[in-house]
Amino acid sequence: MAVLVLFVAGLALSLLTGPVRLTAGDFVRLIGHPDPVHRAIFIDLRLSRAVLAFLVGAALALSGAILQGYFRNPMADPFVVGVSSGASLGAVLATALGFEAAAFGFSGPGLLAFFAGLGLVSFVYALSLRRGGFKVETLLLTGIAAGALASALTSFFLFMRSDSYDQAVFWLLGSFQIAEWGQVATIAPWVVLCLGAAVWLARDMDLLALGDDTAQALGSPVRRVRKAFLAMSALLAALAVAVSGIIGFVGLVVPHWVRILIGPSHRQLFIASAAAGGTFLLYCDLLARNLLPAELPIGVITAAVGAPFFLYLLHKKR
Amino acid sequence: MDDLGHPFPLPSAAPRRIVSMAPNVTEILFALGLGGRVVGVTRFCDYPPETRDIPRIGGLVDPNVEIIRSLDPDLVIAFRGNPLRLVERVRKLGLPVFVLDIGRGLDDLFPLIDRIGRVTRAESRAAEMAAALRRRVADVDTALRGIASRPRAFVLLYGQGLWTCGGESYVSDIADRAGGVNVAAALPKKWVLYKREKVIQDDPDVIFILARSAADFESGRQRLERMPGLAGVKAVKDGRIYEIDENAASRFGPRLVDVLVRMAAVVHPERFGGMT
Repeated sequence: MAVLVLFVAGLALSLLTGPVRLTAGDFVRLIGHPDPVHRAIFIDLRLSRAVLAFLVGAALALSGAILQGYFRNPMADPFVVGVSSGASLGAVLATALGFEAAAFGFSGPGLLAFFAGLGLVSFVYALSLRRGGFKVETLLLTGIAAGALASALTSFFLFMRSDSYDQAVFWLLGSFQIAEWGQVATIAPWVVLCLGAAVWLARDMDLLALGDDTAQALGSPVRRVRKAFLAMSALLAALAVAVSGIIGFVGLVVPHWVRILIGPSHRQLFIASAAAGGTFLLYCDLLARNLLPAELPIGVITAAVGAPFFLYLLHKKR
Repeated sequence: MDDLGHPFPLPSAAPRRIVSMAPNVTEILFALGLGGRVVGVTRFCDYPPETRDIPRIGGLVDPNVEIIRSLDPDLVIAFRGNPLRLVERVRKLGLPVFVLDIGRGLDDLFPLIDRIGRVTRAESRAAEMAAALRRRVADVDTALRGIASRPRAFVLLYGQGLWTCGGESYVSDIADRAGGVNVAAALPKKWVLYKREKVIQDDPDVIFILARSAADFESGRQRLERMPGLAGVKAVKDGRIYEIDENAASRFGPRLVDVLVRMAAVVHPERFGGMT
């Protein structure tokens, strides 16, 4: 409920703040005889951006909530299995090669980031499947190693093409500068679908917390559940990266806030994480747009705001 | 057709509200007498001085889409130095965006002026301006015909480190057209960080310092002269270190011809009556 109020307030602030000064009256007048400039700024720029920020925040937080349950490890986040490192490599490679054509509402780097992110996760998963069955620890370690390799390549390409550095920064630290309705339409159905599926399978996730063997004994199809959750979290993270670059901290921290506030039941955790993650990112984007005359990459804000708040919650509880 | 390959239908009437997303475009628009129609420029657009009072749309790499839209332009001229994703975002708002590439050499300047003239429907003025600039370049070519030697030039960008222009920079081309040879021309980059020992090994005959002010030039020259090992370099020994206006040289606009004339005059004083 509180999240809903915050969300509505954040949305209103998003619409009414920006480098061009417009008032609530200007917004209301859109209904009668719309001024095309005001319409473009309110609807095409500010509203699409706010909605996209919300969706990406929801996707990242949900992905993080899923992975923390999946690994039974509070340190897990959407990027630990290699999505972010794969995606940054894809994006930087696209920029370095001048592959900038756009398709399906994604920019060239976005498209390549999406596939490279998912590709690296699949590669990591396939690697950890070999040699005597699948183990979660192997997946985690393989993901970290493959991620480090991808990061090294990313730095290499950045170094080789120093003139594309400015562009790359907005990829590596995230930004909603180019938000538009096409991107919203591309990712919204997937985010909704994954949230639905995660909520539907939430009971099985609760069982996983007791250990794979116990969960199996209690009638949960552990292998299939694990696959489905891994695929969902990877898809969510890759979509988020494809439209906005790499935004850290949301996936790691938001599920913790929610767990501290409402407890560990996964059904509520998934729904509340998505709502809280979306609202959190909406506010972070507000700051990114308005804090300085020039825009900040949003990754700077998520960490700067998220970390202190997280510490506060953690210690208040004790 | 613009330099991204997007077809660009010529406007039937001359655009009245133009947003320029790069300093060299702003400069050309003003040189064409269209300054009064420019409604938005970047924060780097400082030439000519009249640009000071025009609303700013942000910087070269961080133009603000919302401000651009609010200016309600009927023509946006972007540049390949602008982030493509932002240029595309402006285009998706339904604004007419014309994207121009930066030139590789001095000769690319004339078609650039022509094309800006075409999209702003100032064709004849653009043709006159390009022709006048071409004449001045031709005068330099004539003056340099049959030169006996091509002095070796090192171009230094004032600031931290020895940044110089590689072979892909149009500044390297201008040094060449001025009857010199850029010592870093073999490096396949626009701008590169050069090594001090390379400068000593290259032993340039002249050194150009691209500086924003006489004070910057002076401090740049003193820094060079004091650098260990550089005192033996020919240009330093002969005192052939010259100032080039960085503001003019860093923008792919009409003042590049001034840079050419200046470089030619100091590289080959014998051909320009010793004026330096």
